[in-house]
Amino acid sequence: MFHWLLGDKQGLARIFQHFGQMLEDGRHIFDAASNALLGGTDPETIRDDLYATDRRINGVEQKIRRELVVHLAVSERTEFSVCLKLMSLVKDAERIGDYAKNIFDLGVAVPGFNADPAREDLIQVKDQVSRLLAKMRNLHESQDEELARAFCEQGESVLRHCDEKVDSLLRSTDNDSHAVTSALMYRYIKRVMAHSMNIVSSIFMSVDKLDYFDESQETR
Amino acid sequence: MPSAPVTGLNMPPPRVPAWARIILLFGLLYGFLVAIGLMSSAFKILGAGHADGLFSGVASPFAALAVGILGTVLVQSSSVTTATIVALCGSGQLDIATAVPMIMGANIGTTVTNTLVSIGSVRRSAEFRRAFACATVHDIFNYCAVAILLPLEIYTGYMRRGATELTELFAMGGGIKYESPIKHVVKAGTKAIKSGLESLNLEGGFLATALLLIALAMIFLCLNYITKNMRALLASRIEAGLNSVLNRSGLIGMLAGVAITVSVQSSSITTSLLVPLCAAGILTLQNAYPITLGANIGTTVTALLASMATDTSLGLTIALVHLIFNLSGTLLFYPIRALRQIPIRGARRLAILATQNKLWLLIYVFIAFILMPGLGILLFD
Repeated sequence: MFHWLLGDKQGLARIFQHFGQMLEDGRHIFDAASNALLGGTDPETIRDDLYATDRRINGVEQKIRRELVVHLAVSERTEFSVCLKLMSLVKDAERIGDYAKNIFDLGVAVPGFNADPAREDLIQVKDQVSRLLAKMRNLHESQDEELARAFCEQGESVLRHCDEKVDSLLRSTDNDSHAVTSALMYRYIKRVMAHSMNIVSSIFMSVDKLDYFDESQETR
Repeated sequence: MPSAPVTGLNMPPPRVPAWARIILLFGLLYGFLVAIGLMSSAFKILGAGHADGLFSGVASPFAALAVGILGTVLVQSSSVTTATIVALCGSGQLDIATAVPMIMGANIGTTVTNTLVSIGSVRRSAEFRRAFACATVHDIFNYCAVAILLPLEIYTGYMRRGATELTELFAMGGGIKYESPIKHVVKAGTKAIKSGLESLNLEGGFLATALLLIALAMIFLCLNYITKNMRALLASRIEAGLNSVLNRSGLIGMLAGVAITVSVQSSSITTSLLVPLCAAGILTLQNAYPITLGANIGTTVTALLASMATDTSLGLTIALVHLIFNLSGTLLFYPIRALRQIPIRGARRLAILATQNKLWLLIYVFIAFILMPGLGILLFD
């Protein structure tokens, strides 16, 4: 009834919308960059889009921070915990974009990697992470605690897998010319997954525990 | 019992529905107008010889200016001071010539609030420098405007004449008695309270004092709750407005300042909102300045509202003087770049001084809001 007077969206709801956009862009840039390394896409055909997406992510991060300060100044409600969380989570979302750029740079530097035997496993891991990134966007909307815990369990298995792969590459005596590329890719995927888990774990963790998600903690 | 940790990103639902807040707003506005009516009645009973207290026996315009500053600093609200001045003028107990500098003083006095807000970041130098500059740009602008416009008004009387002509225009040449449509509704409330007091056998000076105390309490309460209510009701709009002007300078910022201040009925709220934004570095002083000027213009709506409850057209005249003064100040210190930079550079310089040595902060607050108005009263009254 008072829509014209009160505005389209509550201040924090608008900030949430921006954050959702950041997560969507995060998945897009990760998929695009991974395809440059693993899918045989010519990096030059996606360079502009990738960098534009990264700039958009960075711009939205700054916009969210600004709007959070304005929101805290204007709002008399006790929403500061949510605001502090968002201030921390936008950094995680922005880091996903940064790692995607690292993956893209790897694709540019190692054009022949799509013939490497490690590629198959990396594609599987990448697809799993991509699906999880899509799930993260939905979880951000629903704020479902159980699904968020399930997400983090799946994320943990991705992290373990990446660690094992890097470990085996370190110990390997094979003369694998792409060992460094593979190790770096596993490392980047692991970091993307870890930042995603930080974002999702905020659904069920208190603000002081952010970035310290651990299965053994009393968060269940 | 320890409280559960706050988890998730869920937002709390609004506590009071919008329709209830809008009904409350009308109730509070009515209460405010009734309070002005009560105050006018009280001043009338007290008569010209007594209708004064703080605002009487002020012979010189500089003393009147000082009274306006001190009165506002004491009550921490220019809305209360200007509403009281409107009631005094409306009841015929204060002449416009004396009221004009008082209104100007109220404009200066109200800026102490955001200066005090800026002290919140005093321990962090960079933040404090930005916050203090944002707060004092309002003070410096008002002092500069008064320094030029008060002498001009004394010699030409352009504000008084302009406001009188506008009043006659609004009253359609009605002249002596200004009949606002809301006045009749307000009178019913005023009469009810007055009759209630008279039934307690209060009369003369006692009745006037009781009316005055009730009126002052009602003005404080109503303005306070109008501000809180509107701030809660329009938080989203205010937030969106501020977000949209963060990176913009000029007219849009000024309009946002007017809109926010008219909404919350307090220029101090608007300017105090800008202080943390400047402190955080997300709003520049250059962009905060037009919003501040907009707040200065927006705050004149309180006096205009108050004038609806007064018996004579003089209430409206002084309310219009308030508007003309703030518009004149803005026209003087905004469109021309060189003049626009005076308050901005002054505030920056003052902020640097106050950051280097916090003693400057105390010296400034003491001189601007205590010593100068105090001397004004002592020397010119």
